[in-house]
Amino acid sequence: MLYNLNAGLWQNCVKIFTSKEYMNMLFEGLGCTLLISFGAAIVGVLLGTLVAIVKIIPSKGPLMKVLNVICDVYTTVIRGTPMALQLFIMAFVIFAIRGFPMEIVAILAFGINSGAYVSESIRAGILSVDIGQTEAGRALGLPYSKTIFKIVIPQAIKNVIPAIGNELIALIKETSIVSMVGGLYDLTLVAKILGGGDKLASFLAPMTVVALFYLAIVYLLTFVIKLIERRLRASDKR
Amino acid sequence: MISVRNVYKKFGDLSVLNGVSLDILAGEKVVIIGPSGSGKSTLLRCMNLLEVPEKGEVWLDDQILTEVDPDLHPELQTKADRKAFKKQYGIDINHGRAKMGMVFQHFNLFNNLTVMGNMILAPVELKLKTKEQAIKDAETLLSRIGLLDKKDVYPATLSGGQKQRIAIARALNMDPKALLFDEPTSALDPEMVGEVLELMKDLANDGITMVIVTHEMGFAKEIANRVIFIDEGVIKEESAPAEFFTNPKDARLKEFLNKVL
Ligand SMILES: Nc1ncnc2c1ncn2[C@@H]1O[C@H](COP(=O)(O)OP(=O)(O)OP(=O)(O)O)[C@@H](O)[C@H]1O
Ligand SMILES: [Mg+2]
Repeated sequence: MLYNLNAGLWQNCVKIFTSKEYMNMLFEGLGCTLLISFGAAIVGVLLGTLVAIVKIIPSKGPLMKVLNVICDVYTTVIRGTPMALQLFIMAFVIFAIRGFPMEIVAILAFGINSGAYVSESIRAGILSVDIGQTEAGRALGLPYSKTIFKIVIPQAIKNVIPAIGNELIALIKETSIVSMVGGLYDLTLVAKILGGGDKLASFLAPMTVVALFYLAIVYLLTFVIKLIERRLRASDKR
Repeated sequence: MISVRNVYKKFGDLSVLNGVSLDILAGEKVVIIGPSGSGKSTLLRCMNLLEVPEKGEVWLDDQILTEVDPDLHPELQTKADRKAFKKQYGIDINHGRAKMGMVFQHFNLFNNLTVMGNMILAPVELKLKTKEQAIKDAETLLSRIGLLDKKDVYPATLSGGQKQRIAIARALNMDPKALLFDEPTSALDPEMVGEVLELMKDLANDGITMVIVTHEMGFAKEIANRVIFIDEGVIKEESAPAEFFTNPKDARLKEFLNKVL
């Protein structure tokens, strides 16, 4: 049995890579996965930064208190419930509108999810910047916002890049459940279709090929993150 | 110049300042000494409101930085009276701080900016100077301390003594009326203490108002107009250095001087 599977693997891989139809399907899946991942990454980082800043500001006014409670509920609920459930709620409850683009539903669902994790990383990054930096800024007469944006956040970013990188890598892999709500042909779903009886009638080759696709994306992303990190560390040495 | 009036400060249950009053005159050099944990830093930080006192007031010339303390103004009977008073004499805290430089024990140069970036950030952001003017003044200050060649490097590459001299120059580029120093040489290797103290003596001769928390007794004797001993959150003794060091009256001060001299 195992022997049979292996024999089929090579032949089927060749089939996939030489068939224009199959390759087109794969690249369509890749495009879908990348679109959702990067859309969600942007939503996640923006949302995460916003939430982190709200949580960091020494709250005084009633508006800030309300915002703080909202942000706390947000991170608690999102981190305390499964991603698949959040995706279902987004698709079948909040955006249960006929014809609403599923790409947007997915980007929002994954983005809102990753924002909760990113916000915690960014908050930790901001807190890890020496309080003396803030004090020096304030003692010079700079308002709180200027101190945060010109001094603290630029230093926090450096501390946060590795954590955010990990979060993005997790996000890309997590999007593989997106086909559970239907309407989107991401890499994982394409692998499943290619393995079906009317195509290759075996899942091994398509799953292996798609795994390589995911690996390549993650590897590339890791490389880019390292590059950015090295750039940002320049001020530590020079 | 800076007037601290009956200031109280607590951290949780710990009373750190228990009614401190202190008038610092224009051009005066006031040195504050006292045992560890006696509230020296807290007093200094109340002057520019890095710590907000629970009670009492801080004035910068004829402008009030803190809230109005009803106990100090029996004539202001209602909340509205005090609000009107604050409106008349109050100053935005950021404007107040811009007039008082602060120098920290751990320098606190902005790590993400070059030396020049450190020097010009606040004066330019607060529109006290044009960027060109701020750079020009910064270059003059850096030449004065002999560090002009460091203007484009990041703080991480500097020695402690260099960092502290640049931190002082950064404060000076705001053209402040007064400078507050919180143990400016305590974090330095011994061979670097001298260069920072020299610069501070230089500034003292220029006539700028200085409030200095330090453990450098020789330095205090040399430049202070007045030395203040703070202990248990109150001022126990204050006098000219000659009197202060040779003829102390407070028992705790005698004990303290015996230990440190
Ligand atoms: N932010 C804070 N939160 C809680 N306690 C504090 C805080 N800042 C200072 N304290 C406490 O208040 C007391 C006085 O502190 P302060 O820093 O003013 O002393 P100091 O005279 O400057 O001492 P040192 O010579 O060690 O610098 C200390 O017991 C300190 O632990
Ligand atoms: Mg101190």
